Amino acid sequence: MLRSAFPLVSHLPPRKPPPVRPARPPPVRPYASSAARPSPPPASAYVHLPFCRKRCLYCDFPIVALGSSSSSPVNGEGNDPRIADYVRLLLREVAATRPVSNDGVPLETVFFGGGTPSLVPPRLVAAVLDALRGKFGLSASPEVSIEMDPGTFDAAKLRELVGLGVNRVSLGVQAFQEDLLRACGRAHGLREVHEAVGIVTACEGLQNWSMDLISSLPHQTEEMWEESLRCTVDARPTHVSVYDLQIEQGTKFGQLYTPGVHPLPSETDSANFYKIASKRLSEAGYNHYEISSYCKTGYECKHNVTYWQNRSFYAFGLGSASYINGVRFSRPRRMKEYADWVQKLEIGAWSHEPDSAGMKDMAMDVVMLSLRTAWGLDLRSFSKSFGKSLTVSLCNTFRPFVESGLVIVMDMERRALQPSDFKLDLQYEGEIESKVAFIRLSDPDGFLLSNELISLAFGVIAP
Amino acid sequence: MATATATATASRLAVPAPRPSPAAPGRRRPAALSPAPVGRPRALSAASRGRVVCPAAPASASPSTSDAGQDRLQKVPISNIRNFSIIAHIDHGKSTLADKLLELTGTVQKRDMKEQFLDNMDLERERGITIKLQAARMRYVMNNEPYCLNLIDTPGHVDFSYEVSRSLAACEGALLVVDASQGVEAQTLANVYLALENNLEIIPVLNKIDLPGAEPDRVAQEIEEIIGMDCSNAIRCSAKEGIGITEILDAIVTKIPPPQDTAKSPLRALIFDSYYDPYRGVIVYFRVVDGRIKKGDKICFMASGKEFVADEIGVLSPKQMQVNELYAGEVGYLSASIRSVADARVGDTITHYSKRAERALPGYSEATPMVFCGLFPIDADQFEELREALEKLQLNDAALKFEPESSSAMGFGFRCGFLGLLHMEIVQERLEREYNLNLIITAPSVVYHVNLADDETVECSNPSLLPEPGKRRSIEEPYVKIEMLTPKEYIGPIMELGQERRGEFKEMNFITENRASVVYELPLAEMVGDFFDQLKSRSKGYASMEYSLIGYRESNLVKLDIQINGDPVEALSTIVHRDKAYSVGRALTQKLKELIPRQMFRVPIQACIGAKVIASEALSAIRKDVLSKCYGGDISRKKKLLKKQAEGKKRMKAIGRVDVPQEAFMAVLKLEKEVL
Repeated sequence: MLRSAFPLVSHLPPRKPPPVRPARPPPVRPYASSAARPSPPPASAYVHLPFCRKRCLYCDFPIVALGSSSSSPVNGEGNDPRIADYVRLLLREVAATRPVSNDGVPLETVFFGGGTPSLVPPRLVAAVLDALRGKFGLSASPEVSIEMDPGTFDAAKLRELVGLGVNRVSLGVQAFQEDLLRACGRAHGLREVHEAVGIVTACEGLQNWSMDLISSLPHQTEEMWEESLRCTVDARPTHVSVYDLQIEQGTKFGQLYTPGVHPLPSETDSANFYKIASKRLSEAGYNHYEISSYCKTGYECKHNVTYWQNRSFYAFGLGSASYINGVRFSRPRRMKEYADWVQKLEIGAWSHEPDSAGMKDMAMDVVMLSLRTAWGLDLRSFSKSFGKSLTVSLCNTFRPFVESGLVIVMDMERRALQPSDFKLDLQYEGEIESKVAFIRLSDPDGFLLSNELISLAFGVIAP
Repeated sequence: MATATATATASRLAVPAPRPSPAAPGRRRPAALSPAPVGRPRALSAASRGRVVCPAAPASASPSTSDAGQDRLQKVPISNIRNFSIIAHIDHGKSTLADKLLELTGTVQKRDMKEQFLDNMDLERERGITIKLQAARMRYVMNNEPYCLNLIDTPGHVDFSYEVSRSLAACEGALLVVDASQGVEAQTLANVYLALENNLEIIPVLNKIDLPGAEPDRVAQEIEEIIGMDCSNAIRCSAKEGIGITEILDAIVTKIPPPQDTAKSPLRALIFDSYYDPYRGVIVYFRVVDGRIKKGDKICFMASGKEFVADEIGVLSPKQMQVNELYAGEVGYLSASIRSVADARVGDTITHYSKRAERALPGYSEATPMVFCGLFPIDADQFEELREALEKLQLNDAALKFEPESSSAMGFGFRCGFLGLLHMEIVQERLEREYNLNLIITAPSVVYHVNLADDETVECSNPSLLPEPGKRRSIEEPYVKIEMLTPKEYIGPIMELGQERRGEFKEMNFITENRASVVYELPLAEMVGDFFDQLKSRSKGYASMEYSLIGYRESNLVKLDIQINGDPVEALSTIVHRDKAYSVGRALTQKLKELIPRQMFRVPIQACIGAKVIASEALSAIRKDVLSKCYGGDISRKKKLLKKQAEGKKRMKAIGRVDVPQEAFMAVLKLEKEVL
């Protein structure tokens, strides 16, 4: 049984700097490399397991709804031939994928996302893990995450998964109110939520798990949201993901609701929910390390951090998106087209286009991803990759927001600086390195307006 | 008929649905004869711009005049020349009557007439602008004596009253055509007065007597009462049915005096129109007043001082037909490789280079723009295209003035001056439709006289350039006298309109039992908005109006500024009467609040007079704009959304820190036209 969760992810700067640091600590600057030279080979893999009992009313992901025909609520779908067929396809894709490097960079993280991966029988999950291990190798202590929904697993199934090497569970609870669960079209009720939390917390060998919640659901009130947060804190997960409901076109919710209009909470209420989450979870000792992610110190989701640091990663399965050699590629979202694509891959009729995105797009990726995090944007590294003048323009654009508190400037040790320090520094023709090293969006106000702020930055990058 | 022009119509401001390409204002162009219009994209065919085909008419089909039309180029003694124009309100039958005159004199074949007539109607309907005959030489035989009749048409809109006056000055008489089922309209009156000023013999004609609702007696009485003209012998006709046409032709011969025989004097010819032809240069229409002009003569325009050689001279009948010589009393055209209509302005006098006339004909004046507005391309890249388009239009429109202007909100554009509102609309329309330019048009402004503290007086037509309050002593604004003719039941609403527009009531007269003339004096600025539309809507379309400039008067005017987040938006500044400043300020700030997207901070929107805020709104700050999912590393969709958001910001103009969409400017400018 693999124990996961080395509390400190080596490349992540800790929230508080250790007492002794070299004058210039080398925090990982992944995007610097991605822009200037070939990116390091992927050490992460995303695996899409698209099966769900039914589609939730807000969901627009590539999923396969199996229907609730099964007799056993927990393992009924296990023998569904569609799952086995799909996993065979998945294994073919893994087999047909050429590792980016031949010097054997092993996978540090694997993430089984969905869909509802917990509907997939553990033996099939094992087959995928084996294939990945055989193809790319797994590091000595990889983070292996799986998304699980209440009502789709029991203690035995979880034990089995943990036995296979799964060491992080992302539990899709979404809400602690029966009515809200029903309103979302979730395939489980409140009872299953409590059972699932019980199973996960009682599971020997599973230290690291995330409670996933959705805020701004229809009919959700501030009291309900406080209750969900209270229940979450009480369950003591190492990680909490709080997703703000997005109303997507083409979903049932898209037909039914308009953002900000009853029964959805108003924009003000919705912003308030975000602030409450930030407050309550911080009080309970969670770090708000990314727009929608909170964790106990050291329990960042290493896999997701890969995305935010703009590092490359493999992806396998229906509709999944990979980022290899500077190229982002999304697989077909329809099963038939995906199967055809796998076949092309097998016969060598498909390969990643060697040309990578332009510098502007690269810079946009870096900005958009890094500003999602509490670590923020590394200005020195950005300047190195994309030029001083762009960096200075970016800072100038953000300056009014530093003053208004939406953007925070930080020094090398990630200590917040006064807005006046930012001003001073900019006066030295791009000598931003002197004191200001990072900029980040403030929590919660800056995070809440992240789209506005990031799109402003986009306007600077691509005028 | 043979030519198209931008004559005023009842719907001059309520510009009707698609108008293809109104001819340049006041520039009556013989479309049938000019090979291609000025500066017009080739894609726009002749048909689409209102060209009316009028083939030469070699033979006459009219039994009464046998084939008199064929020899219309033949010379007649000066005593047998009659030069006249037709004065009529839109829809009162001018085009039909002109058609019938051409037909009966064999100038144009009947078959061709019909086609033209239909074309005319379509175009009129589409453009709301009368298509009219430019000039036509007809031969008419009466009592076995051949006469040469020259019909010179006029534009009918006050914007072009100068051009009208020059056309009338080229005539000795005019037909006053009034619809016997309706009555005299304001515009008709204005032109009758102009004709009387030019000592023209006026022949009243009551048209449409075939209509069941025709009341020729009543209308004749109306003309007598309003104009004070004897109508006992008014000709009753139906141009449509061909009734009374011969009587009209006879009356032209017997009542209108011939031109004076001054063929031996030095050449003086009055230019009453000109248009630009891209192949031949400017074509000049003129009436020879004194002397004679021959092909190949070296000529000189006395006002512009330009000299040319008359490569070609001819008559319009109605198509251009070359002749070798024209003498006093005759009407014709010439081409002389003239590059811009500015060199051959309406009203200028043509004389011989070597044997100059002592003095020019009276009445020449430069075009004085009365209304100004800023034209800005929505897409900054179109600035050069806009300049080129304006230059091309100017080739054919000497009254159009423009100079570059820049504004922090609108970027680079031009401040343009126009004769009036119709002129402005026509130019805007042509720029947008013929040159495919997308324009932001600022609210029209008049020319203010600003009396400065140091006793100097400056003109100002751009609110953002108004001198500071401390530097100015007073502001004067142009006033117009406006006469509105209306059925009596709309007198109330029309007087309300006059009052609302700061009008000073002057007089009201019942011209008949049921119709009244209401006269106001009011600021021109109050008319440049939607006054005409309001007049029409408040009278269910029955009222008509006419105005003339009566000078400048001091008014309690203030400059109203708009500030967004404390930053002034120059392009939205306006000059308004103090009493109206509050309501205008409120309307503008409310509109802006509707249209400016919320920002990351609270944005006050204020209307100010100097430092004093008189109306205020505020946009609340955005509370939340966050995409929380970043699923499975698929950032492409999120990035697309953010890019779209960034694009949206780019399309906006930054006013200080606030992004304001173009649409907000446009809507506010439109609102300014309505509320000012």
